[in-house]
Amino acid sequence: MSSNRRGLAMGPTQNKQTFGKHMGKYWQLYAMLIIPIIYYVVFRYIPMFGNIIAFRKYRAGGNIFGDEFVGFKYFKQFIGDKTFWRAFANTLTLNISYLIVRFPLTLIFALLINEIRNVHWKKFVQTVSYLPHFISIVIMCGMIKELVSTSGPINNLIAQFGGEKISFISEAKWFSTIFITSGVWQSLGWGTILYLAAMSNINPSLYEAAAVDGAGHFKRVWHITIPSILPTITTLLILDIGGLVGSGGAFEKVYLLYNPMTYETADIISTYVFRMGIGGGNFSYATAVGLFEGIINLTLLSIANIASKKLTDSSLW
Amino acid sequence: MKKLKITSLLLVATMLGATACSSSDGNKETEATTTIAAVIETQPTEEEVDLPYEYGLGKTFHANEPVKYTMYFSDASWYPMVDTWESEGVFKKIEEATGVDLEIIAYDSGDYMNNVTLDINAGDAAYIIPKIYDESAFVDGGAIVPISQYVQYMPNYVEFYNTYEMQKDLLTITRSDGNYYRLPGMWEAPMPDYSLAFRKDIFDAAGIDITALEKDWTWDDLCDILVQVKAYMVSEGMCSESDYIWSDLWCGNESGQGNGGNLLKIMGNSYDVNAGWAIGDGMRYSQENDNFYFSPTTDNYKEFLKVANRFVAEGILDPETFTQDDATATSKFFNGQTVIMSINKGQYASYVTNLDENLGAGNYELYYAVAPQGSVNYSAAGAGRLECGVMISQNALDDLGEDGFIEMLRFVDWLWYSPEAYTLIKWGVEGETFQYNADGSKSLLPGFCCGGLGYGATSDDDVDIRLQWGYAGGNFWYGHTLAEGSDAFIPPVADFVSRVGEYRDTAPLAPGLAPSEDQNEEINLIATPLIDNVNTWTLSFVTGKADIDAQWDEYVASCNGLNAEGLADIYAEVYGK
Amino acid sequence: MSMNTKPMKVKENLGYRVFTVCNTIIMVLIVIATLFPFLYLVSQSFSSDKAIMAGEVGLIPKGFNIDTYLYVLKGEFLKYYGNTIIYTLVGTVSSLLFSAMLAYPMSKNELKFNKFLTPFVIFTMYFGGSLISNYILVISLHLKDTIGAFILPMMISTYYVILMKSFFQGLSKELEEAGEIDGLSKFGVFWRIALPLSKPIMATMTLFYAVMYWNNWYQAFLYLRKDHWPVAYFLQTIIRGAGANDADAQTVSANIKSCAMVLTVLPIICVYPFIQKYYVQGMMLGGVKE
Repeated sequence: MSSNRRGLAMGPTQNKQTFGKHMGKYWQLYAMLIIPIIYYVVFRYIPMFGNIIAFRKYRAGGNIFGDEFVGFKYFKQFIGDKTFWRAFANTLTLNISYLIVRFPLTLIFALLINEIRNVHWKKFVQTVSYLPHFISIVIMCGMIKELVSTSGPINNLIAQFGGEKISFISEAKWFSTIFITSGVWQSLGWGTILYLAAMSNINPSLYEAAAVDGAGHFKRVWHITIPSILPTITTLLILDIGGLVGSGGAFEKVYLLYNPMTYETADIISTYVFRMGIGGGNFSYATAVGLFEGIINLTLLSIANIASKKLTDSSLW
Repeated sequence: MKKLKITSLLLVATMLGATACSSSDGNKETEATTTIAAVIETQPTEEEVDLPYEYGLGKTFHANEPVKYTMYFSDASWYPMVDTWESEGVFKKIEEATGVDLEIIAYDSGDYMNNVTLDINAGDAAYIIPKIYDESAFVDGGAIVPISQYVQYMPNYVEFYNTYEMQKDLLTITRSDGNYYRLPGMWEAPMPDYSLAFRKDIFDAAGIDITALEKDWTWDDLCDILVQVKAYMVSEGMCSESDYIWSDLWCGNESGQGNGGNLLKIMGNSYDVNAGWAIGDGMRYSQENDNFYFSPTTDNYKEFLKVANRFVAEGILDPETFTQDDATATSKFFNGQTVIMSINKGQYASYVTNLDENLGAGNYELYYAVAPQGSVNYSAAGAGRLECGVMISQNALDDLGEDGFIEMLRFVDWLWYSPEAYTLIKWGVEGETFQYNADGSKSLLPGFCCGGLGYGATSDDDVDIRLQWGYAGGNFWYGHTLAEGSDAFIPPVADFVSRVGEYRDTAPLAPGLAPSEDQNEEINLIATPLIDNVNTWTLSFVTGKADIDAQWDEYVASCNGLNAEGLADIYAEVYGK
Repeated sequence: MSMNTKPMKVKENLGYRVFTVCNTIIMVLIVIATLFPFLYLVSQSFSSDKAIMAGEVGLIPKGFNIDTYLYVLKGEFLKYYGNTIIYTLVGTVSSLLFSAMLAYPMSKNELKFNKFLTPFVIFTMYFGGSLISNYILVISLHLKDTIGAFILPMMISTYYVILMKSFFQGLSKELEEAGEIDGLSKFGVFWRIALPLSKPIMATMTLFYAVMYWNNWYQAFLYLRKDHWPVAYFLQTIIRGAGANDADAQTVSANIKSCAMVLTVLPIICVYPFIQKYYVQGMMLGGVKE
């Protein structure tokens, strides 16, 4: 995590300053940091020690750091646990298919918005498309359940065309469709912000030169717009790939939408951890799985970040 | 991090040892048999004279000095707790009667177990923890009091326990350390619930009197009857030859849990095998041999499969039953397309409402029948007489001290096990919300209604005693005698319950088993894939996708390949036979 | 906003005109698809319960009435709504303050401590405590069932701190140095110069944090008793109750549920368009550092 290497080189070199002088000059900035640092220690770092219970047996009412050391028992257990691997596979499947659907759609939507000439219409479309991003997951899932319920509008439509009503929410095979569609609905507009920003930075003279050369409209999009925003595309793609095993963002949505009938396709690692932990009281087991997931995430994201840095000279940290 | 109370197991053990029964000599085996004896003798506390409270059988518990206990409450959003419960409703009445100030910690019913689990695990549990179905996740760490060591202080509990001989039932929830950790809801006898509902008008028209037959009909008889009814319906033009007249709910993907759900459970029970919802790990107790055996590979199971399959093969039962969602089944029944469907007590009123709406009141007759016999005459209610129950937190013992703790237990005893509290919690106050009729039954006073008791509102001004004051809620109200349990039943349901009692026997109760942590783990490891396999085969056999005679051996071999015998071995080891 | 960049002359050939028409149609469809769930919800909230159960309600309310709103606004709902407003106000103010206090020093490359601080902060984005240890922490700090339990566990969002840091790094160094020459202390520079220059990012963060608190139900589920619930968790319980298949369940009426949902999203719908130019800018600055 060498975020500031470039920055440090640019800043005034103060390596030779003594500690006292440095503090004398900057003590107020350090003072500002006191509360935030205490906050991070208390609310972010101290709970990490609780992860020790992945290696120690935790019992209700026993020691909060676990009763006895059991080594990798819980890791071995979940490695041999089919349900865990099902959750692992579901996490990957849902994330990958969501990415495959969402990523090109967002890009196309951004390109289409960029083509709108009427400023007010463009602004309106953008504003409306950002709206779902701000809606709470609870309400979104509530709306989804309304829409797909057997007496909801979608099933009414099906019935009108003579089809059999489908209980979408309780059929495992429909879960990924619901998950992906609602995800696209929620993030389509929001995802275009960075693309549109990149497009607005393209020098208009490039288009003019191309027009002079006789390039048609679509050619200009293909030869100028897309190459210009390619770094943005690459970066976003890499970061998305880095988050493929992570289920943090999806937890609430899956938790609010799934049910025992759809576990088969809907249960992801974080919901499984939640059920094993809170639901089953197997906190040691749940922590072991959570730890495993955390480590994979950290690794994948680090790799993605390095790749992003190498390929596009931009990175998250 | 600030350390929480780290409860030393040793300390707990010492404290418990001091209060355990006198005959305890430290040997766990003896302890188990003494605390869960056939007859418990109530035991007074040492200084019974100057108790700061009154208690006893037939007496109202009353604390003379104010006490306050924390208690969880599972709050259902369809009858959410409101301030009036506390200010004038059920909690107020409890306080008036007992002098106990209950500090209610309400969690939404959907998250109830999650919240309670977190609190218990974090060492922050309330004293009284009701509505617990499965205590196994909490018993090892010392957060929950092994309540079996204290029940001798609870007169109402002891009275019920002794009168209805609950020992065997309690042994089923006894852990390997010889204690049980939950005060369960206890029934006098298993309460019949799930069975079959018939369109009696159509059966009558076809010349079949169900009421006369149900006493000792078998599933084969039922199948013959249904074939006859279908023939009648076809001849009358009510359906065509290709239609099914039975499409059942609680069996599909949604509610059937992939094992055939309610219907196969009821059928299997009458053939003395585990099936459907009751498949569990397949292990069943044989009274004859006094051992446990793997029931899905027995001859009884084969017989059960054959009869279940016959309903499909004869064109009676829709094979979609095992995949469809419940709404499909109910809409067919309510529209009159089908003439038989599963039912439970809670659904009876809603079936009537729906049939009234679709067919018109008076155009049909609904009959809540006793389910047929198989190879045995067991009631579909099964053998269990225990319900969810109350756990007591170790925090209560730590904070209140032994004497205060026993005082609290005696309050709990009154609230959950005395007939007086049962009536209060369920019906409210005599003269205010309900009255005793001449025949001793109870009914709500005019102007009141209660969804939970099956009293619909007759006018918009009716006050629902559950919504308004919290009576008839699910947190206190479980178990008790059959008379008490059925005091709100509408006549057809009460009639059904009594006929089941008359026509069917209660299945023998399997003895309690207390596998160790390791044995439990082993059982789960074998059972999960094994039962998946059983379910897949069972549904294939029943729906006719697999041939029972031709492929039976193949099926048995597949179960043995998944170590069904190993499972039986572990059971034998645990049971000691 | 600087996105409408190229009103330059292009040859409007036929293909392009067809495209423009198609594009407009697509946009109209997307707008409809985006708004449909909301409109459906609003329509339901004005309809009678019976019409909803029968599945007769479309985009036009059936059995139009405002009784449901009157009913909802009389009941417990207002209490939860009030809780949410308090949590959002207190939470957003403290989040903004402490995030800025962390992000500003982090943006100063000359601060030696940053070599340690930046990884210290970023690490927490990817690695955290287990559920039970977070829970025990809140209990041991005696925060359970207080506003602190709702706000503190998510008060400083590392991701937002990074966004703010990037913005602060882009501020004009000259202005800050001029401020110091004029005798302002480091803190004075932050308060008098940096913050006023940071309106876009502060507006963005206000929106993001406020939306986060407004929508949060998970902390409430973990830590708060009923009286202290925010409206989001209350909604969660009635949405679930509406689907409850309990034998004796009288489900929460669908129209009550819709009403509560409409009332809960309303403030967000009313506010977010007006901060749009800020958060678009904020996202651009911090989203990907280039």
